[in-house]
Amino acid sequence: MLKNIQEWVLLFVIVSFMVIIGNWIGYDVMPLEALPGILALASISFLGLIIHRVIPYKGIPSIAYIGILAFILSMPAVPGSEKIVEWTGKVNLLAIATPILAYAGISIGRSWTDFAKLGWKTVIVGMFVLLGTFLGSAIVAEIILRMQGII
Amino acid sequence: MEGNAAGLWKDWKLHVLVLAIVCVTELIGQHSISVGVGIILLLPMLYAVIIGIAVYFTPLVTKKQSEKAETLVYITLTLLIAKFGVQAGPALPQLIEAGPALILQEIGNLGTILIALPVAILLGLKRESIGMTHSIGREPNLALITDKFGLSSPEGRGVMSMYIFGTVFGSIFLGLISGFLATATPLHPYSFAMATGVGSGSMAAASLGPLVAAFPDMADTITAFSGASNLLTSVTGLYASIFIGLPLTEKLYKVLTKRKNYSEPEIEMESTIVITEEVKEESKTKVVK
Repeated sequence: MLKNIQEWVLLFVIVSFMVIIGNWIGYDVMPLEALPGILALASISFLGLIIHRVIPYKGIPSIAYIGILAFILSMPAVPGSEKIVEWTGKVNLLAIATPILAYAGISIGRSWTDFAKLGWKTVIVGMFVLLGTFLGSAIVAEIILRMQGII
Repeated sequence: MEGNAAGLWKDWKLHVLVLAIVCVTELIGQHSISVGVGIILLLPMLYAVIIGIAVYFTPLVTKKQSEKAETLVYITLTLLIAKFGVQAGPALPQLIEAGPALILQEIGNLGTILIALPVAILLGLKRESIGMTHSIGREPNLALITDKFGLSSPEGRGVMSMYIFGTVFGSIFLGLISGFLATATPLHPYSFAMATGVGSGSMAAASLGPLVAAFPDMADTITAFSGASNLLTSVTGLYASIFIGLPLTEKLYKVLTKRKNYSEPEIEMESTIVITEEVKEESKTKVVK
């Protein structure tokens, strides 16, 4: 457990550094300015992983703990929430997404040979599968949001 | 998955490489292409995934590093989930107001069956199409189909090929179409924000990115809706597949193939293995009757 915690901390340091650099190059936020925000995000993620590790029931994925923890800490009623919101606001979402997809690309490379073997029918059906879930959800959401008069 | 973190931080070559990709892609920056009435946004993350795939085939990356990268996707993804969360907190009143839409849009994920299954059958695919179109075929669905049909069954082959397709092409495809659909269709960006919870973290990131970039003044609410939708899908997704998605796919498959067999029987010739599989199925049902 302790060894794992050390590993996690080091990994969070590495990826946080990347986010800060990307945030600086792509979105002109100075690294020092973004530092409290990324520290807050990394701490929340780290805590979520620990909660998942400590709780014996494993039916809930660790990302659920992370999401809920971040959600609670940023609710207006919670003391200090406005600081967390202000800090994390300096960390651009897109700057977080870029290293995710860079790592994902490297990991995807392994599947490429399998991908190349897929027939053209699979590729067409695959695109409709993705389009279906995306557009399907958007249409249902649109209908409900309009019925409620939110949009 | 967090268990395999041992020694990952030491692989500085991998991290430096990713840092280099981040720097290069962020320097290239955001570009957009107008396509008819809509806009396709090209974001750094899109270049990053393509460059990532490309460098895998250079000597810079070993197979082992590529495996390590998978755990790092997960670690970095937790930061995105945390970012989702902190955007959602201040948006609590909007989330409550939009609660019904957020919950019901989960049903929209079944849209994949309604759109993709007929296409698959039209292309002459048999029971593979059940595995392919019952969901977007991520890890939980792979497990579900394996559990129910076995991985070497037609359904298993179907879900596996969808899994591979989604892994390689999913984030690229959604990254390209999300911005386009949001700008070209009359649907509101909020609706697309809710649609980003498809059941895969990197696909969510890829489809959310263009929305945030195209509608910067709505970015906070879009992120909050997307986060809530992702959280909901991660909790309900598998159950929706078990209780609604898969049974619906099988039912619709039966309906569609029955009609099709009358009109175009020659398509049956396409795969002999599948035919025997079908015959077995039919004889089984006859015995039961």
